[in-house]
Amino acid sequence: MKHRILFISIGFLFSCAGKSMAQIYGDNTFEFQYGNLPYKKNRNLTTSYDQLNLFYDQNNISLFGRIEQFMTPIRKRNYFDLTQKRVEYQDKQFDIRIGNFYETIGRGLLLRSYEIPGSVYEDDFYRTRYAFYRDLEGVTIDYKNSWMETKVLRGRPLYNIYPPDIKPDSLRRPDLTEAVQSNFYLTQDVSIGGAIMRSHSDGVPGYHDFGDLMFDANLPMQFQLFGEYTFDTKGKFSSFRKKDSYALYTGLNYYHDSFGLSLEYKNYNKFRLGSGYNDPPSLIKEHTYPVLNRSTHVLETSNETGFQFEFYYNFDGGHSITGNYTTATNKVSNTFHYWEYFLEGSYKVNEYLTLKSFADYAQDELKGEKHRFSAGFTTEKNFNYEWNIILDLEYQTFRRSFDPNRAENYYGSLSVTSIPNITVSAVFEASTDVQLTDDPRTAAIETKTRTWLGGNIRYKISQSNTLDVFAGKRRGGPACTSGICYEILDFEGVEVRFSTRF
Amino acid sequence: MKFLVSLLLLIAVGSNAGPKVYNFRLKNLNNNTVSYKELKGEKLTVIDFWATWCKPCVRSIPKLVEMHNEFSGKGVHFIGISVDGPRNLAKVKPFAKSLGVDYPVLLDTENEVMQRLRVQSVPTLLIINSNDEVVYFTEGYVPGEEKLIRKEILKHLDQ
Repeated sequence: MKHRILFISIGFLFSCAGKSMAQIYGDNTFEFQYGNLPYKKNRNLTTSYDQLNLFYDQNNISLFGRIEQFMTPIRKRNYFDLTQKRVEYQDKQFDIRIGNFYETIGRGLLLRSYEIPGSVYEDDFYRTRYAFYRDLEGVTIDYKNSWMETKVLRGRPLYNIYPPDIKPDSLRRPDLTEAVQSNFYLTQDVSIGGAIMRSHSDGVPGYHDFGDLMFDANLPMQFQLFGEYTFDTKGKFSSFRKKDSYALYTGLNYYHDSFGLSLEYKNYNKFRLGSGYNDPPSLIKEHTYPVLNRSTHVLETSNETGFQFEFYYNFDGGHSITGNYTTATNKVSNTFHYWEYFLEGSYKVNEYLTLKSFADYAQDELKGEKHRFSAGFTTEKNFNYEWNIILDLEYQTFRRSFDPNRAENYYGSLSVTSIPNITVSAVFEASTDVQLTDDPRTAAIETKTRTWLGGNIRYKISQSNTLDVFAGKRRGGPACTSGICYEILDFEGVEVRFSTRF
Repeated sequence: MKFLVSLLLLIAVGSNAGPKVYNFRLKNLNNNTVSYKELKGEKLTVIDFWATWCKPCVRSIPKLVEMHNEFSGKGVHFIGISVDGPRNLAKVKPFAKSLGVDYPVLLDTENEVMQRLRVQSVPTLLIINSNDEVVYFTEGYVPGEEKLIRKEILKHLDQ
């Protein structure tokens, strides 16, 4: 019945779109997996996941719906749901959204929502696949004129650890937030703003009230300064006492010709809100090199202070250099330090050949990782703009506080592209990290080097359709995309993904 | 299953020219909110989705800067949309400026415009005509693709 109603509704929208200035459009992602997660039951599991996003626009009104479907032989994990729906009205001054929407207050100290398009999440416990996003369900009104902006919202943030098959749906949204944020543009270059927010968690009596102050200034000599301070109104304003809940973030950036730098400072205390719907900037460099991306320091909002410094310089001829220094201190039961030095250089030999390398040295006491050294080398060779080859080799070693042996990680990938439509790549990884070599099903501690080998093919069938095929073993672990870090699972088998836009 | 097959058939039948780009509003690097219509080109608009952490973006942006200089004054406007979240927001301006970007850069911190324009990864480049229709869409970048992009711009400028 649910399918039939959806089908009729979509058909109705299409017919409307044909008769007026309206348009209907969307995208669909279908992913099929045959395989299993290492060390798990349910061997050779077949699963399929589909996500359909549909938009309908007419004049100032827009409708949106997301349908997700997951199918596996284990029926209790299956679902077919309208997981997002929204009505939006937008004109020159107002933007009103009812249903599922994304809003962030300031830099996310109080509230952060996000969408990571194309990502499909699977949790080790629930073993259900679903889109990875954190939205709010409720209503938001944005108003803007030449000298101020205001947003008012009331909504329930998604607790995205729970998959859509967890019912009732209200369990996935255990918090209620209500907020007002205003920003005033004092001049073309200076704005100040503030927000108040109150939140309530199901099963917990009463509300928590928060205040937030922020400013943004474009300073002389191409400097830009941003600052935000947010606090629980029960605490003492700007006293930074250990018993108070507060978060302070400030960032300064500068550029001149081909040189750019940023310097950021954080001071967070007792500031994980509700089920975790806020996300203060972590001030940890987001790396795309696999050995570094998964080694990220995880922000501890219960207590963390620190800063991050980064610079860029782009030389004539296409060469570049990037440096980053990050440090953080956590005072949770004990005091833990984290620091990281990163340097990356890229050298363009000629139009057809580029060499790149990086070196990174870090220590993360909270994770028990000592003297972590990572390095890598990448070369990219182009053949007359018809073929392109990328070879990427990376190495990492560190010592865990509980293990006398050094852990080592190796990564190698070779990617060949027939421009512009077909890319074939192979990825090899190996690790001696005891957290990965040990089989959790046995009492013994296995130390044999573990390896992963997988191959990918990407075929851009047309501007609207892309096919990706993966076969082999894929290493899991923490992954960070768009500033959001989450855990991805190991996988071995075959995965086919077909994405289409219409 | 029947439902899915029907739906895909419906979509296939309903497919036509790319949808019109809606008048999205985002903040620029100076913290001012601007709309697509304020920035669009008289003839064509090239929108590049990128991020500071994206390696192929770093290689494609200088090529887009060259194209921006070449087509400046010919009715083609370039817009960069950074999808960096709050974690990397402080780096966007110095990063873009150090690469010589002098066209407008907007901040899509919640990836909402990205989702609405059906972009799934970065870099992704769209060419939009004066009727706001997407006439070219490409994901990813390898050296040499800028020649295809330039060809597409010239092709649609002639139309």
